[in-house]
Amino acid sequence: MESFRFSHTNNVAFALLFYPVNNPGKIKQRIIDAAKVEGTEGDHERDTVNFSFIEASLITSRLHLETAINQAIIADSQGSLRTKTAHSEILFALNPTNNITEAIRRYGVSDKSESLLVVQITDSSASVSDVEIKMKEVVDGTVVPFGELATITEWDRVKKYHKLDKEVRGKGEETRSFIDNIVISSVAMKSVIQ
Amino acid sequence: MALSLSQSLIRASLPISQGAEAKVYKAQLSETSLPILLKYRFQKHYRHPSLDNNLTRTRIAGEARALLKCLRSGVNVPGIRMVDAAEGVLGIEWIEGQSLRKLLGGTEEEGDDLDVEATDTELENPLKDYGVSVEELMKLVGIEIAKMHKIDVIHGDLTTSNMMLRRPKSVESTLAAELVLIDFGLSYQSTLTEDKAVDLYVLERAFSSTHPDSEPMFATVLVAYANVMDKDWPAIRNRLEDG
Ligand SMILES: Nc1ncnc2c1ncn2[C@@H]1O[C@H](COP(=O)(O)OP(=O)(O)O)[C@@H](O)[C@H]1O
Ligand SMILES: [Mg+2]
Repeated sequence: MESFRFSHTNNVAFALLFYPVNNPGKIKQRIIDAAKVEGTEGDHERDTVNFSFIEASLITSRLHLETAINQAIIADSQGSLRTKTAHSEILFALNPTNNITEAIRRYGVSDKSESLLVVQITDSSASVSDVEIKMKEVVDGTVVPFGELATITEWDRVKKYHKLDKEVRGKGEETRSFIDNIVISSVAMKSVIQ
Repeated sequence: MALSLSQSLIRASLPISQGAEAKVYKAQLSETSLPILLKYRFQKHYRHPSLDNNLTRTRIAGEARALLKCLRSGVNVPGIRMVDAAEGVLGIEWIEGQSLRKLLGGTEEEGDDLDVEATDTELENPLKDYGVSVEELMKLVGIEIAKMHKIDVIHGDLTTSNMMLRRPKSVESTLAAELVLIDFGLSYQSTLTEDKAVDLYVLERAFSSTHPDSEPMFATVLVAYANVMDKDWPAIRNRLEDG
């Protein structure tokens, strides 16, 4: 389990990387259904999918994910979320435009997701193993070390969504860290884009 | 009232300097991440709070947008790491290195310098550490400013304090030291020749007021600048010469 502990908040974020994922369509359906069910049964369903399910192939580095989590936590603490929860706010922060539907379609789980980063923002008293069990209950897939992300990132799609096709050619290590820096910067300043 | 997240972060950070508009800190967002620089635009008590908030937000947004535009076009500037406009905080990549003002042994600034890491100033020739000569450094300055002007970003406060030399990763490394432009708090967008000429004029004045024998240094900056600006250069030169 990868954990993100910040110096300025008691919130902690836990993340697991799944690759491959065998049930992306089902996960998506569960998220949609959970929003509709009422009462205690609904609460239970919502708790079951109370994560951010992120299309891992669009994440360029650990810092990229950390930056989105941090900005979501800050927005939440100020009551200035643009979406319903801190978890959906992560998806919003990752997308370079202000279109929420587009953010969820691109960065959230879809029928075609092959890899997922599952994130939960919680407080520091949460038990890592509980979180892990709950994540594995929803996702049918193989957990791989977080470092595997480097082999999962689809740089061409990252470039397309960030409109970097023209700016950046090349495929080497230097090009990747150049793109990574721009992508991280875009996420960090999402709240003040035009 | 509980401290805001940004205020808690500031509490846990190391003060670097204090200017008229902002306090600057070295901070760390999480236990695993690299250091960042926090620029905190504090409240000005003589301004009306809501007016002040708006102004602060606009300034932070402007600085962040200029940085992103530069990053996208390959102009060397720090990456953005955090923005909390409501609290007046901008977090950027920490540049391991030194400001040009210090490297060139410039006279002291009036701003309160709280720099605890300024040990380089004691060295005989701090530039040697970075493997560049003064002349090479001036070329780097000219090139970086030209790259920025090519994309119509006007810095607005070009001084040697607002440029840093990034320390090469290792001494033997073939990676050259990198000149990084910082402090885009007064920057704006403009295609006008006049605005680019004023940017250079401000730098010329800054050079002559803080560094002795600055004339040949500034001349080297202009040669490198002209080279990159190419066909845009003559018009800017005319403006600069008109004064
Ligand atoms: N990214 C950075 N990394 C390291 N030091 C920095 C960075 N940005 C600024 N500094 C240091 O802090 C000083 C003040 O920052 P600056 O952005 O110029 O704010 P001010 O508006 O107060 O002039 C700079 O002169 C430089 O010495
Ligand atoms: Mg400055």
